[in-house]
Amino acid sequence: MSALRTAARYARLSWFLGGVGLHRLVTYRLDFLLGAGAFLVRVGVQTAVVGLVFRQVPAVGGWSYHEVVFLLGFSLLPRGLDHLFTDQLWELGRKLVQRGEFYRHLVRPVSPLFSLLSERFFHPDGFGELIVGGVLVGWSGSRLGLDPTATQWALAPLLVVCGALIHTAVKLLFSSLSFWTVTSLPAMYAANQVSEFAAYPLDIYHPTLRSLLTWVLPFAFTSYAPCAYLLTGDADLLVWLPAVTAGALALALAVWRRGLSTHETTGS
Amino acid sequence: MIVAHELVKEFRIPERRPGLAGSLATLFTRRYRVTRAVDRVSFEIPAGSRTAYIGANGAGKSTTIKMLTGIMTPTSGYCRVRGIEPYRHRQRNARSIGVVFGQRSQLWWDLSVPDSFRILRRIYDIPDHVYRRNLARYRELLDIDALGTTPVRQLSLGQRMRAEIAASLLHDPAVVFWDEPTIGLDMVLKEAVRELVNRAHRELGTTVVLTSHDIADIAAICDSALVVDRGRVVHQGSIQDLLRSADRRSVLFDHRDRLAADAVCATVERGLPGVRAVPADGGRVHVDYPAAEFTSRQVLAFLLDHFDLADCYAPEPDLEDVLRQIYGRQRPAAPSGVSAV
Repeated sequence: MSALRTAARYARLSWFLGGVGLHRLVTYRLDFLLGAGAFLVRVGVQTAVVGLVFRQVPAVGGWSYHEVVFLLGFSLLPRGLDHLFTDQLWELGRKLVQRGEFYRHLVRPVSPLFSLLSERFFHPDGFGELIVGGVLVGWSGSRLGLDPTATQWALAPLLVVCGALIHTAVKLLFSSLSFWTVTSLPAMYAANQVSEFAAYPLDIYHPTLRSLLTWVLPFAFTSYAPCAYLLTGDADLLVWLPAVTAGALALALAVWRRGLSTHETTGS
Repeated sequence: MIVAHELVKEFRIPERRPGLAGSLATLFTRRYRVTRAVDRVSFEIPAGSRTAYIGANGAGKSTTIKMLTGIMTPTSGYCRVRGIEPYRHRQRNARSIGVVFGQRSQLWWDLSVPDSFRILRRIYDIPDHVYRRNLARYRELLDIDALGTTPVRQLSLGQRMRAEIAASLLHDPAVVFWDEPTIGLDMVLKEAVRELVNRAHRELGTTVVLTSHDIADIAAICDSALVVDRGRVVHQGSIQDLLRSADRRSVLFDHRDRLAADAVCATVERGLPGVRAVPADGGRVHVDYPAAEFTSRQVLAFLLDHFDLADCYAPEPDLEDVLRQIYGRQRPAAPSGVSAV
């Protein structure tokens, strides 16, 4: 009963703070446009490079042009969803511990993680990723004549949510390292760079990188595994998704908690 | 209300060796030096009191406040605020406390002050009438509307501190912990802040724990004092008691004798060895005597004997002087306190 009430309270707070986040988008319209603009250029270049490659070859690692665009687009969906809600983790990695500003999340009557994340819901870049990702997926899907089964339709949103949670877990883990190292921006940045690899078919990479992306920093589950399933019905890798998502989250939360208690001991 | 029992906080500080070879060596073999920032501190602060938590830099003030607010866990011992250990039940504790940490903001950096307040209202579930009453009060005393819709990051230090102070009282906390709350405020605003917290105390019985380097804050807000030095409590009691503990007192007098000020001072210092006499404004003489060696009666008797007194009064010992003495008294040993930030 009290757990339910707590959940309801957090839901209400999230709703309200989400509203604040949206309101901020309107207030800082320029920010929003700049962010979205820069993002469009980046994805534009990415798509163009893919196009150029496919002028030379008909398929890459067994993937056709439209399939690769589908993958590229799909990879943006979990990334964007995660981006909307957890961008504040970058602040933690960058400076909160270093500047002693993290304390404010410990003196509020809400969980510190919620307090941190809710400081900024709805980061504008996230919307850009979701919109562009959706457009790319829609366009390439129709070019491929994709006709998803009912199960695929039903699973697709779940796949995006799980992918977003994996992104969140990795970001949470690396930002929590700042509790020990004061700033963990380089580590977060590196992890983020690695996640970019997931925008392309895993088949084109060296097996070492492939297993790194599957089992160490499991970004393969944010795009490659779901796309393989949605495009071909191949679910060999996808069956691991629930376990990987749960494992990644559990590990990240454990590190976060350890970090928090270290922070309480050292206070800096 | 607030209890600390044998509270200890130690920090492990990695020992750094000099030079490049030294820093490489520290990478592999870490040796730590343990410093005790808070050393078996025990005290009790009754509900509804306004206590100045006083100590020189590095005395362990901030560390203690961090433990009382739940930000830090003690190495040993415990503290309780309204019966709960803050670091164990942080969220529960957070509901009943309000916090200001001088330089460090707890507001939403890129939101305006009214937006921050609206969020706090939700987070603390502040009832409508409380919220409205407090906002009206902030309008009256802190001119909070003048901060307008500017994002907090663009406010001046003084403007931001007004918002921080208001935010710490918004939910009618039972206890407020204010660490250097009046940094960057001008005289008028300092007055307003004092009035604000005193009103909260009068009407709601708010308990106040305050650290400040501004003696006037302490004098205007607090009725009792807790003095720590190098991690230990060296005085606890009312501000009056603290003032009485001054080891030097003074007397100011005016006289009708046609004597040069220097001659008067010389007479006093000769007659009362260990006493310092200096000329003060308006031809008066300031006599400063060690409380341990003379009573005020002795000093007065001497003055009456030797001069034709026109006026004479004994000012309260100055809080600042008292504190300076307390800090000074403990100084000789090498300062090992660590300012834990």
